[in-house]
Parts: sequence; C-alpha cells; structure tokens
Amino acid sequence: MTLDKMQDRLKIWAEETQTPEANRLDVTITVGNLLAAVAVLKAEGWYLSAITGLDYGHDADRMEVLYHFCFGAETLTLRVSAPHDTPSVPSICHLIPPAVVFERELAEMFGIVVVGIPNSDHLFLPDDWDNRVFPLRKDARLE
Amino acid sequence: MTQKFTLPVGPQHPALKEPGHFEFTVEGEIVTGATVRLGYAHRGIEKATEGRNWTQDIYLLERICGICSHVHALAFCLGVEQLAGVTAPPRAQAIRVLVAELERIHSHLLWLGVAAHEAGFDTLFMYAWRDRETVMDALETLTGNRVNYSANLLGGVKCDVTSASASQIYHAVDKLEERTRHYLDVVMNDDLLIQRTRGVGVMTVEQVDQMGVMGPTARASGVMRDIRCIAPYSAYVEFPIQPIVETSGDLQARFIVRVKELFESYRLIRTILDHLPDGDLKTRMPRRIKAGETISRVEAPRGELFYFIKSNGTDTPERVKVRTPTLCNLASVLTLAVGRQVADIPMILVGIDPCFSCNDRAVLLLDQSGERRWTWEKLRQYGIDFYRRQQ
Amino acid sequence: MQQTDMIRSVTRWARVKSPWVIHFNSGSCNGCDIEILATLTPRYDLERFGVRLEGSPRHADILVCTGAVTRQARESLLRTYEQMPEPKFVVAVGSCAISGGVFQGCYNVIGSIDQVIPVDVYVPGCPPRPQAIIDGIVGLLERLSEREAVS
Repeated sequence: MTLDKMQDRLKIWAEETQTPEANRLDVTITVGNLLAAVAVLKAEGWYLSAITGLDYGHDADRMEVLYHFCFGAETLTLRVSAPHDTPSVPSICHLIPPAVVFERELAEMFGIVVVGIPNSDHLFLPDDWDNRVFPLRKDARLE
Repeated sequence: MTQKFTLPVGPQHPALKEPGHFEFTVEGEIVTGATVRLGYAHRGIEKATEGRNWTQDIYLLERICGICSHVHALAFCLGVEQLAGVTAPPRAQAIRVLVAELERIHSHLLWLGVAAHEAGFDTLFMYAWRDRETVMDALETLTGNRVNYSANLLGGVKCDVTSASASQIYHAVDKLEERTRHYLDVVMNDDLLIQRTRGVGVMTVEQVDQMGVMGPTARASGVMRDIRCIAPYSAYVEFPIQPIVETSGDLQARFIVRVKELFESYRLIRTILDHLPDGDLKTRMPRRIKAGETISRVEAPRGELFYFIKSNGTDTPERVKVRTPTLCNLASVLTLAVGRQVADIPMILVGIDPCFSCNDRAVLLLDQSGERRWTWEKLRQYGIDFYRRQQ
Repeated sequence: MQQTDMIRSVTRWARVKSPWVIHFNSGSCNGCDIEILATLTPRYDLERFGVRLEGSPRHADILVCTGAVTRQARESLLRTYEQMPEPKFVVAVGSCAISGGVFQGCYNVIGSIDQVIPVDVYVPGCPPRPQAIIDGIVGLLERLSEREAVS
C-alpha cells in the first residue's frame, strides 16, 4: 500500500501529517490511537523497522516516540508525544512480537514506561546500572 | 518425566569471537523458550554522537562494527548529505558502492568460514578465510586499511581508484569467483553440511513478515527484502543489483543465498570498474547542517541498516538512532529455536549471521537442576556430536 | 641433571614452544577480533609458532584481549584472568584495549584493559594487522624464554 493510500487509511486518527522527504510520511497521533494505527499498518503488510525515542527536554515538557514502518522504498512514521516527566506508551508486542527488543531499549534509554511489555529486563545496560539514570535523556548525569 | 532445564551459554564465545547472552529453556532435547540479554559490547555510541561534530561521528560510527564498518559510515554520510541538500559526485558514489560490495564479499566469506566452523567443518573455515585474504588485500590497496576502511567523507570519498588498484580488484574478483563456484558446490552438495542445514530452522514467508526478518535470512525464505533493489541508494541507481532469492527457507537456503550473492557482487564490481564515472571525489559540505530529520536505509551484509538522524542546525547532531539488522533477526532466532532441538541452536544462530558488536549477544541454557553453565564451545560440540551419532 | 632442573627445563620448553592462548573480547567492534582470528588461518598461521587457541582460561598461558572494556564485560574479564594459572601474561590488542580508542569518554566504557588487569604487551592499531599481532605475541614469547633462561 502506497503512502497516499495509508495516509487516507490513517486520517481518522492523524492529528498532523507531513512529508519531510520523498518516500516518507510522518503521521502524528495520540498515544490512545497508537495500537489501532499499528494494527492497520501491520494488516496492510508494512513491517516495523525501528522505534526511535526523542527527548525535547524538561522545559519543553515533551518526549516523542517514533514508530518507523516500511513498505518497499517507503517509510511511514507514527509520531506519539508524551509528557517529559511521566512518559508512557502502550506496548505493541501483542501485534508485533519482535518489537519487544525495540521497546526494552526505548524504556532503558529514555525512562519511557511501556505498558504491558512482556519483558522489561535491561537489553543493553549493565545489570548494576543505576535505574534512575536514562542515558539518552538530554539531562542524563553520566560519569 | 522430562525435566525442565535452562542452559546458559556464554558470554565467552570462541567461535563467533563476540560476547553475548541468550537464555534457552530446555525440556530434554527440545527448546521450549528463549530470551536474550545484550549489553556486552554496548558502548553508548548513540549518546556519544551528540557530543561530537558530524565529521568526528563518521569515525565513531564506522567502529560500531569492524565487519560492516563501511555501510555504517555510508548510511550516516548519505543521511547527513540528505539533510544538507548535498549530493556527492558520481565518481564518489560509484567508489562508495565498490567498497560496499568488496565489504559484502569479505563479510560473507567470513561468515561462511564461521558457519562452517559451527558445523564442525574446519577445512571449509580455513579455505574461506584464506580466500578472504584476497579481498582484504584489494581493500587495503584501495583504501589503505584491511578493516575500518574509512573511505567515506561527508560529501564524498577519500580514496580514488587507480589503474593499479583496479587491476588488483579485477584479479581478486576473478580468483574469488572461481573459488566461489567450489563453495556453491559444497553448500549444495556436501553431505556433512546438508545434514546440518537442509530442512533445519525453516522459516516461512509468514514468519519472516511477522518477525520482521531482513537481509539474506529473509531472502532465503523467498521474501525479497534487499534495500539495494527496493530502494536503491547511492550508485545502486546507476548500477543495479539483481536480487538473490531462494524459497526453501531452511538453513541451507541461507547458505546458498549468501554464496550466490557473492557472484552478483563480483559482477557489479566489474561493471563499476568498467564504467567508473570521471570527476571529483567530493563536494563541499557545510560545517553546520540544516535542521531537520532524515532516514537513511542501506543494505548491510546482514540486512537493512536503518539510521534516523536529527539535526538542530549546529555542527553536532541532535540525535542519531542506529537500528542494525541483527537486532531484528535476533527475534527470529528466539522464535525459531522454540520446538527445535538443542543440537540445532548453534547453526540456527549462525544462520542469521549475527553481528554481536552491532548488537552484542550470547547464549544461555539454564539448568534448573542446579546452575550448569555451558560454554558456547560445549554447545557447538554438542551439535557436532549429536549429528555424528545420527550417521 | 637434577630433578627440579629437568622439570623446570621441560616446563620452560612447553610454555615457550607451545603457549596456549585464550582470546577475550571485552566489548570491541570486532575489528581486532577478526584480525586475531585471521592469524590462525593459512596465510599467517600463528600455529606454526606453537601457539594454540584454547577455550578455557584454566589451561591458558596468554590472554589476548580486545575492546575498551564495557562495564558489563569488566567482571567477566577479571574472572577469566583470575582463573588462569600462574605464570600468565596479557596482550592488549588494538587502540581500544590500550586507551579506549574512539570510545574514550563513552558511558558504559571503562577505557582500557590495564585499568582492570595488568598488561604485558600492547599491540596498537585500529585494528592492528595480523602481522603486528603475531609480532606482539612472538615478542612476548621471546621475553618469556629470556625470563625462563635467567631463572
């Protein structure tokens, strides 16, 4: 399914859409609509290529999670915002089981709570890591 | 009554040369569950990119992985050039693809040797690594280094193809093509390899889709996921590659796909050398990169490498996200192993061509009757002995 | 020849003529590791110097280390070193093993092998070529044989 058609399918949930580059579409949705949008993409044969976390900082009071889906040469990114101090997204693992590794990384690096994640062990960080420190946050205090 | 064991294997991994940590739950001979614990080679690279400038970051990202160093730098440079609205000149793009294909050759031959070792076939390991030296020599003449070639610059490449290096590459490719015909015969017809690979670790098209598998592992199940073909980048537009796909979806197919891909790489390298565009090796790049977000997808030897790069308009990146192919393919190993026998684990793992430093992993089989820790070597030998008993 | 002299001489011969090497990756990019593995393949053939790659630290004389030592790897590195019987020697291969290389200052990276265990030989490079790695190990063997000759 091409980006145009997907844009159409997702428009009931889309708060904003942008075309930042050729073959790319960014669709901003609320966290409540994430699972529905993911289900549609999965049903149309798009695969989850990556999940990126972004920290806009405490002052901006915003974090963002980007779910990058690919189909052929095209990439459709679902963008979900969350408050900086209590960021939370639902797990998409029941729809896409291998997403667990992406979600574990997101959680340990940004401190984003992934509700319903099947395995919340650290993926990359050491066992003795201070769990209050999230390395990819802009204000992370790292030795 | 079958007892439930969990067998830990690792983190030292003599054969794969990489540290990591899987956990397999075992009942008798059969795997009933699997998870993974990474972190051994985690160096905090994504964070480090934010504290270095765009050029310094090339040197950092090149060293995510010593086996696929060039594609990391390539993905990054292409992405940054996209943000800056700059296109590297045609000669540079062609050289980038030339080095990428030479790298793919070294990587696949490396893998062939390691996979053979896993199956207990050390002669093939020695032959593959001896032949691999031919392509290492060519890469060294062209770029100045055997590993970590550092060919990429923002805006182009550092090294040019001279008639001497071109001649060496032509000879290397000719010699390797002849050797590869032999390897194809081995992977298709050798009894020992067939026993360990035919019908083993089968992945269906649905499983590939569901598990987000990519690269040669996906192509071995008939799923044509190859970024060079579906979303050509750099000089793959001018010099297209033919996709290599097998349909049986088993381990043997994964061997065959990688060996056949070598032939395509040889063909492409000759074509590029025959038609190398004239012109500059690089174009001007600004020091500060325009604010924006870009996605750069390239085909590493193991599958799709995904870079998300965000600039805030300064000379250091706001965010660099790297998703390597092995992280996706790992999930497939965990799923595939369930229902299989312990003896097949090493080969199923090696079948995805796991790049640990791209992700860093290892294997654990935990024994609940007491903590019985297996080394990878023990697991590998277990597989070899198991199949030897079957003969 | 006295009994103890003979045993010492046989031990020296065995240790210098056929040292058993164990390889440890403390979190490297693999560049050094594949060049170490290459030393065992036909073109370089480290085995002709009697060097054998071992799987277990309990049988090893020489620990060949790569990587800048990630926090996760540190304890495993220490344990591996402790399990080796005396006398034991350490070769740090690659810029990362010597100083952290490009990963200096990264969180999760200790920064060099010698911050964790004592190192006898440093082989610089990113990665060092197989010849350089062999040079480092052979250099160590020569030192070993000198040391044994003196004792």
